[in-house]
Formats: sequence, C-alpha cells, structure tokens
Amino acid sequence: MASSDTVPVQPARPEVAVTVDREEVCLDESETLDRFLAGVERRAFRIAEMAVRDRDDALDIVQVAMLRLARNYAARPSEEWKPLFYRILYNGIRDWQRRRTVRSKIFGFLPGSRRDDDEEQDDPLERVSDGAPDAVRQLMTGEAMKHLERALDLLPARQREAFTLRCLEGMDIAETATAMGCTAGSVKTHYFRALQTLRAQLGEVW
Amino acid sequence: MNTDERTEGFEKRAREVFNESVAALDARTRSRLNHARQAALDELRTPQRRTWRGWAPAGAFAVAILAAVLLLRAPDDATPPQVAEGSAADVGVVEIVASGEDLDLASEDLEFYDWLARQPDAVRNGNG
Repeated sequence: MASSDTVPVQPARPEVAVTVDREEVCLDESETLDRFLAGVERRAFRIAEMAVRDRDDALDIVQVAMLRLARNYAARPSEEWKPLFYRILYNGIRDWQRRRTVRSKIFGFLPGSRRDDDEEQDDPLERVSDGAPDAVRQLMTGEAMKHLERALDLLPARQREAFTLRCLEGMDIAETATAMGCTAGSVKTHYFRALQTLRAQLGEVW
Repeated sequence: MNTDERTEGFEKRAREVFNESVAALDARTRSRLNHARQAALDELRTPQRRTWRGWAPAGAFAVAILAAVLLLRAPDDATPPQVAEGSAADVGVVEIVASGEDLDLASEDLEFYDWLARQPDAVRNGNG
C-alpha cells in the first residue's frame, strides 16, 4: 500500500549533471564558433570589401553575418557553418547592393550625392599592415590584387561568387552550391566561365 | 604546359594574392572584426535575453494596434443612447406631428376634452 502511494523522487545528482552538461555544451559551442569566426572573419571582410568597395559597410555586413550565424545556426553541426556563413554574407552583400541602387535612383540627381572614388579612400597610413613581409612584396601583391579585383568586378555576380568561394575560399562544389543556393551543376558552369574570363584578362598581367 | 596546368597555376596565383591581401589587413580593421565577433558570441551566450528582445517589437506593435482600436472606437462607445425620464410622451408628440394626422378634431371638441380631464380616474377609464 505504502509503496503504491509514494511519488518517485528524482535523484538530485543526475539533474546537476545534466545542467553542467548543458553549460559545457554551450561553452563548447561558443568556443567552437569563436574559432570558426576567427578563422573566416578577415577573409569574409576582404570578400565583402571587394564587393561593396567601402570598408565600414564591409565591416557592417560581416558583423551582421556573424550575428545571424550565431543566432540562427549555432546549433547546427559545425561542418555546415562555412557554407551557411558565406550564404548569409552574400545575402548581406546583395541587400547592400540593392539598397545602393535604390538610393542612387532616388537621390542620384542631387548635387554632391555621388561620392568620388578618391574620397572613399581612407588615410593610407591606416592600412599599413603590422605583419607585412616586406614593402616591395606587399606592393606587388597589392597591384596584383587590384588587377584581380577589377577583373572580378566585370564578371556577372554569380560567376564572381562561384570564383570567390571555389578558388579563393577553397570550398568544394557541394559547399559552394549550398552557399550560393544553387545546384552543383550551376556552380561548375559559373566557375568554368569565370575562370575562362579571368584567365583571358589577367593571364598576361600576371 | 597544358591547359589544366595553366588553370591550376592561375588558381594558385589568385589564392596567393588573395591570402596575402588578407594577411595585410591593418590592426584597426582586425580589432573591429574582433569586436564584431565578440558581439556575435555574446548573442549566443545569452539566449534568454535574446528571446525577450525578440518578442519586444511584436509586443510593442500589438499594444500600438490595441491603443489605436480603442481610440477609434471610444467616441461611439462613450455616448450610449440617452433616455430621459418622460421621454415616452415626447416621443408620442413627435410621432403625432410627424405622422401629419389631422389635428382639427382636437380643436373641435376642446370642451369635451376639458371636461374629461376634470373627471376622476374611475370615470375616465369607463368604470364609473
């Protein structure tokens, strides 16, 4: 009789263990995400900067991409983070470009609404790297990068994305397809065309 | 050197140039990226605050809609139909006037109505 009325009592120790486990999982997740973001943030920034040609806007786009990844996809397996992150990043870049197009249509006729490219350049001293190998090498790399950026600018957006993710970021076709939101076949086509055009333009310069 | 080798060489060169441009990022930009990363990680570490903040705009919107509905409906609800005492007689008079009934009958028998008014209630009700 007495045994049928007794309420089963949850042992205290397992609950504590579960709580600790959750905290550990959260810490692990946070540390893993920290390492992942630290590994991609500079590359993502350069990609965004090449696309929008503005350092502050590029930083904003990268920050938003980091926040969205942490908010919405941190619980996903860490192997999925890279394509997801770059998908968010490119969505941010496309949003920025759409906003710029609308802004230029609305305010384009106003005097002073168009910024000169020279005005967008910050103080060059601010851009000197701390760990640059040497000045000549940096100069040559800088020139080569300028050529690459100009050539990338001339590509259609999807070809540019495919080349950036496949070649510069070293992602495989499946990851690139996830990041671009298209099929593997489309990635191959975009990448092949991008490669042909870039080689034709930069082959002699490089 | 065949096409594949040339393509591989081009890809390798592009990667090198890009990697070096990434390595050459200035300290200020790296610092700002670091701050952005910490902000994103803070978001991950405090999920309960995020949940509350996530619902805040929806709550504010709902309150605003409710306030707007109440304000729009308030004048109608605040003036219920006023029925004063003795208004039934007034309504009767209005109905008679509005119906366009011939009032000459009343003027012809004024003496009768005067007599009727002076009679006790029992007579007037036909009980007397």
